[in-house]
Amino acid sequence: MEALADFWAAYQSTLGFVVVNAFFALSAYAALSTGVLSFATVAYAAFGGFIGAQLVLQTGIDPLLALPAAGLAGAGLAYAVGLLFLRLEGHWMALASLALVLITRVVVLNAATLTGGVNGLSVPYEVSLGALVVLLLIAMFAFHRLSVSWYGIASRAVREDPAVAASLGMVPRRVQTIAFVISGAVGGIGGMLLALTLQFLAPDTFFINIAFTMIAAVVLGGSYHWVGAVIGAAVFTALPVVMQALVPAIQDVANGAALLLIMIFVPRGLFDPRALALRRTPVAKAAGGPHA
Amino acid sequence: MLETVPRQNLLTLSGVGKSFGGVAAVSDLDLCVPTGSVTGLMGPNGAGKTTLINLISGMFRADRGTILLDAMPIQHLPSHEIAAAGIVRTYQNVRLFSGMTVLEQVMAGCFLRRGTSLFASFLGLPKARAAKLRTEAEARVLLERVGIADRADVLAETLSYGEQRRVEIARALGARPRLLLLDEPTAGMNAQESERIGQLVHELRDAGLTVVMVEHNVRLVKDFCDNVAVVNFGRMLVQGTAAHCIAHPDVQEAYFGRSRDAERVKAVG
Repeated sequence: MEALADFWAAYQSTLGFVVVNAFFALSAYAALSTGVLSFATVAYAAFGGFIGAQLVLQTGIDPLLALPAAGLAGAGLAYAVGLLFLRLEGHWMALASLALVLITRVVVLNAATLTGGVNGLSVPYEVSLGALVVLLLIAMFAFHRLSVSWYGIASRAVREDPAVAASLGMVPRRVQTIAFVISGAVGGIGGMLLALTLQFLAPDTFFINIAFTMIAAVVLGGSYHWVGAVIGAAVFTALPVVMQALVPAIQDVANGAALLLIMIFVPRGLFDPRALALRRTPVAKAAGGPHA
Repeated sequence: MLETVPRQNLLTLSGVGKSFGGVAAVSDLDLCVPTGSVTGLMGPNGAGKTTLINLISGMFRADRGTILLDAMPIQHLPSHEIAAAGIVRTYQNVRLFSGMTVLEQVMAGCFLRRGTSLFASFLGLPKARAAKLRTEAEARVLLERVGIADRADVLAETLSYGEQRRVEIARALGARPRLLLLDEPTAGMNAQESERIGQLVHELRDAGLTVVMVEHNVRLVKDFCDNVAVVNFGRMLVQGTAAHCIAHPDVQEAYFGRSRDAERVKAVG
């Protein structure tokens, strides 16, 4: 029993980071689900995180009440980014969003009144693990509702073939803009949760590391269903910790190795709805025409 | 004398041109598609048939000329607005959405008639639910119509080529178009399957739909097309009834080359 308590104490914080990273992965997934690879989540997280943190610091309201403001800030920024960036073609869009990550750091360093500049910002407020888990469950439910709504079919169509989607009356740019707003809201909330989990925001808190973690999580878990983002975030966050306990020697390379193995053997990620559907119809697999 | 009442044209192309680099894919082309007819679009490979379909459906923008749907110019509209105006198409090399079931493909085709806002659909409001059930039922009816209702819940990419073409037709019909553009709907199908597509096209026409289909099979064109337009080198060669077009010497020449007699006549003349 005591061992269990020790275990819980040791890994509680890991679970907290799983939730935070799941928010970032869901944010990346939201854009990717319409075929747009974007690292801009880092900027949404920074904006949402600092706005939310300042709101709590200035007014003293409950941090959980400031979350909607963080989400709105992220969504608003994402809308603006979408208007500017979505006119770019695929890989240019990704590069532009990476540039935005670099700009974010410079802005954070220089907007000292909002961010504390080089000194960083102390956020002495706590959020319970239970609250974090409940928030993630709410976000997952929202993604589930989106996926079964009209938006679910439209986003998949736009991702697979925007030209054909347009010829059926969908407006790819509009669907992607909606995706960006969702990505921004989830990213902004994630940024605020990161602030509450770390209780301190440094100028480097919102930087390339988040971009890397969220994309790796989505690749690992699978980018064709929101469940993949959550699974990926859990695996990617927990793996180094677990490896440290079991085989300390390979702790540092565990995530890299896991990513490589996934990309080589299950390139569509751990959770792939298409593979599941194919397994349901094994007989039909033999068919498929000259182009299949 | 018989006075024929001029039928209304649903689609009118006049002087349409499109070049890629220095190559004119379509030039100065006129085409009339009477309302409620099946128009066959013929021509050798590379004649510009698919370019023409791309221009009408808004995938390409014409460099010159006008395209009228009824009286509305549509040559400048993006493809989603052309779809909303009532023109929907299929593709020469099937372009279904990967990872979607057959039913989902057709529901994607019903997008324009979803009848509910994103917000209502997200919240699962009763009205949105009813709308979704309604489109799902309609999608199943369409699959019944093209004869693949039993495959509704499998991934479309696992179907045979011929079946995938039928899914595409059902998807296009989901938008309830006024004008349906079929780009080689029977390619890769056997005679029996092709015949079924021809009959489906007739059923759709009898239900009020106007159809333009790119088709190479001369027998099929004769049997199922009310009008035929033959293009070659991006120009309209001849337009009229199937028999008239197929017998036309220019068409014969485009398809089979110049006959020996013609060569001799030319040499002598």
